[in-house]
Amino acid sequence: MSAKGVKSDAQLIEPLSQDNVASSNKIVTCAMCYQSSDHQQSECPYCGTVLHVRKKNSLQNTVALLVTSIVLYVPANIYPIMYTTSIGDEIASTIVGGVITLWEQQFYPIALIIFVASVMVPVAKILALSWLVYSVQSNRIISRKNNQVMFRITEFIGRWSMVDVFAVTILVALIERGNLMKVMPGVALIAFAAMVVTTMLAAFSFESRLIWDNPDKNKGKNTNV
Amino acid sequence: MSSPTKLACHECDQVVIIPALSDGQKAICPRCGFVFTRYFKKARSRLLAFSSSSLVFLLLSFVFPFLIFTTQGNEKVISLVQGLQSMGSGTYLSVVLFMLATTVLVPVMTLTGINYTLISAKLDKPLPFTRHILKLVFLLQPWNMAEIFLLGILVSMIKIASLGDVQFGWSFYSFVLYIISMAATRVFLDKYQVWQWFRHHDKRAYSYER
Ligand SMILES: [Zn+2]
Ligand SMILES: [Zn+2]
Repeated sequence: MSAKGVKSDAQLIEPLSQDNVASSNKIVTCAMCYQSSDHQQSECPYCGTVLHVRKKNSLQNTVALLVTSIVLYVPANIYPIMYTTSIGDEIASTIVGGVITLWEQQFYPIALIIFVASVMVPVAKILALSWLVYSVQSNRIISRKNNQVMFRITEFIGRWSMVDVFAVTILVALIERGNLMKVMPGVALIAFAAMVVTTMLAAFSFESRLIWDNPDKNKGKNTNV
Repeated sequence: MSSPTKLACHECDQVVIIPALSDGQKAICPRCGFVFTRYFKKARSRLLAFSSSSLVFLLLSFVFPFLIFTTQGNEKVISLVQGLQSMGSGTYLSVVLFMLATTVLVPVMTLTGINYTLISAKLDKPLPFTRHILKLVFLLQPWNMAEIFLLGILVSMIKIASLGDVQFGWSFYSFVLYIISMAATRVFLDKYQVWQWFRHHDKRAYSYER
């Protein structure tokens, strides 16, 4: 029941066991201030943050937010994100359309950045979180560590999808209305921004400790790899 | 040096003891690889240096022209806040407000909060609301999108490159410096270490020994 020491800048080599997880040690550590207290405490005695041994309804909340983001993904890609008017001609452009235009104008790096941030990242995020929910619920674990890494990346990169939303918002502000040129925002701008926020919230509501919870079916000595 | 602390990993629930760390050393969860903390000597004064310079650069970037856009002889000078305000109507207001919040409001609040808590840590008795402010600083972390805003500016520049001439104003350079010093601030803004500064002189600190 003793706690393991942490090797700094290196991983501990000794095999760890299920005996050393907090739930069997009956302690809970505040995610905000790192104060450890008894697992029956509902509030951190030091900073007042609500304590959860496991976040409540984590999977349900994650799934609900994921479904919302999938629903929002459709209008975000079908409808125009902006309208450009120059000398009477109005051109509507979708997110993917904008990427294609940039590519045709030979701005390859920027086209790639937008494609990755606006198209690939949201899809990858939704797939990754769906896999994590499925993996945890059905106890189908290929590698806990890979799942954890996948979750960390998902948490980190989500914000970057906002690039195109910000770029369009700045464009609208930059180009004065009533001139020969006019840039107007489209419906997809809101749909896309809302989708990024919901995927971020979906990641925040996912309880990563669930990745490590269920004991392996094949009772190996090392349960952590 | 920090004294050993027993805690459960936030990400995998492994119980660990954080040992005393030397300068630049990280404490990593042996089970899942979560980085608990990274210890730096003089972290407090370094954090103060970077967070106050970040705040200065950020505030300076509100003052001067941010971008100068010239099209068909018309010159338009845009400042940061004005640029963010100019499309404030209709349903798109929500997107503008979101951008305003994540690129101006959150950074200003975060940096003011960090500087407040640093002053508080220097005093014998912490200033009022120190813990609440510190909590807010950490809760707002993922919603600081200033660096994404910067990338957004570069993307929008390229999109209108064919329509006119875009020049960067002083505020733009100040904003870039803000992004750089904010990145340095994040290195020293270590949850574990920062809370530790207050525990040392806080008698109400609850210690879990069992
Ligand atoms: Zn706490
Ligand atoms: Zn861990």
